[in-house]
Amino acid sequence: MGTRLKEDGSSKKQLLITSILFMGLGHLVYLKQSIKGAIFAAIEIIMLCMLPTIIVKINGLITLGSPHPELPVKLREHSIFMLIDGVMILAVVILFFALYYISIRSALSDYKDFCIEKKLKGNRASMSGLLGKAFPVFGLAPTVGLIVFFVIVPLVFAACAAFTNYSAPKHIPPNNTVDWVGFDNFAAMFGGDATWTTALGRVALWTLVWAILATFTCYFGGMIMAVVLLDNKLKIAPLFRGIFILPYAVPSVVSMLVWQNLLNGSFGTVNRTLMQFGIIDKAIPWLSDPWLAKFTVVMINLWAGFPYFMLLITGTMTAISADLFEAAKIDGAGRFQLFRKITLPLVLYQTMPLIIMSFTHNINNFGAIFFLTGGDPKVADSTITSAGGTDILVTWIYNLTINLSKYNYASVLAIMIFVILAPFAIFQFRRTKSYKEGEL
Amino acid sequence: MRIIRKVNLTVVILFLTIFSLGVIYPLVYVVSAAFSPGNSIASLNIIPFADGFTTQHFTHLFTNTKYLTWFKNTLIIATSTSALTILVASLGAYVFSRFNFAVKKSMMMAMLILQIFPSFVGMIAIYVILLRIGGLDQLWGLVLVYLAGNIPYNTWMVKSYIDTISKSLDESARIDGANHLTIFWKIILPIAKPIIIFLGISSFTAPWMDFIFPKMVLRSADKQTLALGLFSFVTDKKNDFTTFAAGALLVAIPFIIFFIISQKTMVTSFGGAAVKE
Repeated sequence: MGTRLKEDGSSKKQLLITSILFMGLGHLVYLKQSIKGAIFAAIEIIMLCMLPTIIVKINGLITLGSPHPELPVKLREHSIFMLIDGVMILAVVILFFALYYISIRSALSDYKDFCIEKKLKGNRASMSGLLGKAFPVFGLAPTVGLIVFFVIVPLVFAACAAFTNYSAPKHIPPNNTVDWVGFDNFAAMFGGDATWTTALGRVALWTLVWAILATFTCYFGGMIMAVVLLDNKLKIAPLFRGIFILPYAVPSVVSMLVWQNLLNGSFGTVNRTLMQFGIIDKAIPWLSDPWLAKFTVVMINLWAGFPYFMLLITGTMTAISADLFEAAKIDGAGRFQLFRKITLPLVLYQTMPLIIMSFTHNINNFGAIFFLTGGDPKVADSTITSAGGTDILVTWIYNLTINLSKYNYASVLAIMIFVILAPFAIFQFRRTKSYKEGEL
Repeated sequence: MRIIRKVNLTVVILFLTIFSLGVIYPLVYVVSAAFSPGNSIASLNIIPFADGFTTQHFTHLFTNTKYLTWFKNTLIIATSTSALTILVASLGAYVFSRFNFAVKKSMMMAMLILQIFPSFVGMIAIYVILLRIGGLDQLWGLVLVYLAGNIPYNTWMVKSYIDTISKSLDESARIDGANHLTIFWKIILPIAKPIIIFLGISSFTAPWMDFIFPKMVLRSADKQTLALGLFSFVTDKKNDFTTFAAGALLVAIPFIIFFIISQKTMVTSFGGAAVKE
């Protein structure tokens, strides 16, 4: 059995076995691509050297460390580091096997070329292949690296934390260790613990109500403004449009903090103005009454959010062909009919994806709640759960993480958000052009 | 619509005027607060500009606070995030648009699902990872976090755009001997300029007002960003609303000018984006 390949394709099995045996071996022995093969082989050698570490880290991921109260705090096993390291090592191992797979495929495809061209490519030609066949690997390397270590690993960690008891006061490393607890947190949140279950029900319901109200008020607010400004042939319409666009142009942190100060119950300008004019006798608790605060956040969000839809709908409305209106007018349609039968359906149809996007954005609209009310006012269960009257799921996650250090419950909420939003993401995916055309 | 037809134009204008006063009221009040003497919002007159005029808050910003440092830090973060996002996302988008490989479908699906998470869900892990690679309290640590968060959605966006560019351009360039990198750099990028500009602007503006990640990553006084600094003026402990207003005004004005200038383009591009779907 020499190291020469047969040109009729019968050496495929031989090459496949060598390539599986050791990464890059097929390139080195049969394809005479020493550089490429050496790189692949080096990767496997590095992985083999790391094997002890990998085993230790994976073991750490399974046990999450054992408590050593006798050791000084610095020397105790840090469960969270062990958990994150374990997840990262898992990611590295998966990436390694992906690369292994790529190396085998590259060997086989080079062999296929050899069978056709009857000569080996050698080093130079195969390296120019780096910019050829292997280009996707290099083009996607930064994307994959960043996404794996800064998006997927953190999310997997968060998902894992939902199955641990990582929470204050008893299980915060490095003083104490964290342990796997299975579905205990889910059990507590969904029925096991009355306080938490009520809070979860309340917050989840408000998150949905908020997202629906916020989207609809902004959409129809924007639509009314777009229609009024377009319909009346006003000479000064651009001026009004310029004013209405301002809330959208101001960064939302700034505008929400401003509103928070203006609406402050005791010294806020809005209340002082209303009192000075004698419209009200005592201060209105804009942000401190649970129900009124909910109303206020929706209204302020309308203030900040209608310009986007106004612009959008203006854009779509001006794109509707004038012929349609002419034809309808000849048939005797009135202005209201024109709007209801032509403008509204067309605009709705064309902006539907953006309505859905806006809905999913509002489910996660941290800024609108956090900077305006901070989730306040406090309600009955707030001292235990840290969820206030206007808190939505994401702001509650923030409170649980920052104020209460209940990382386990925060992670359960993150998984809930995923369950709510994943269908929307899949829906969006299915209606992309490339999916419909069967490319994907 | 029937009602609108009946009421005459003056009522419409009246309605619009009252409405625009309501819309613009908080903004006018911020501008007036920035130039009013005093500190707390409680001491301000309810009528804008009725307290007199002073520029002391701006002087205060530049002499007694680290406003310029905050501004510089934010500018560095925003510029690097923007440049790197363009580079990584457009290169990835090019590969996704022009190549077929084994795991393409699952990778694209994964990216679409990943972008629905607010990135602070993985906050603890990101914190520990940055701690391990020495990225805590470093501007580049924050840039990495933003960059990674930007990639999933923006790669999709640019990919959809590149899909519309005819493949025959690539083909003819390849016949002329261009490799993939040259095709990407010399042919695809120039044609995809509109979406690249949009991507650059959106990833440039986002870091200016982000709060959670800077709060977590940046600790020392010299590494603070504008959002952190401005927020510190109006915390529960102190209410320095006028200084906050002055600082906010300086950030918001460039944003507003830019928006007004590009209003027309935005209307068309928004409309275009909706129609294309």
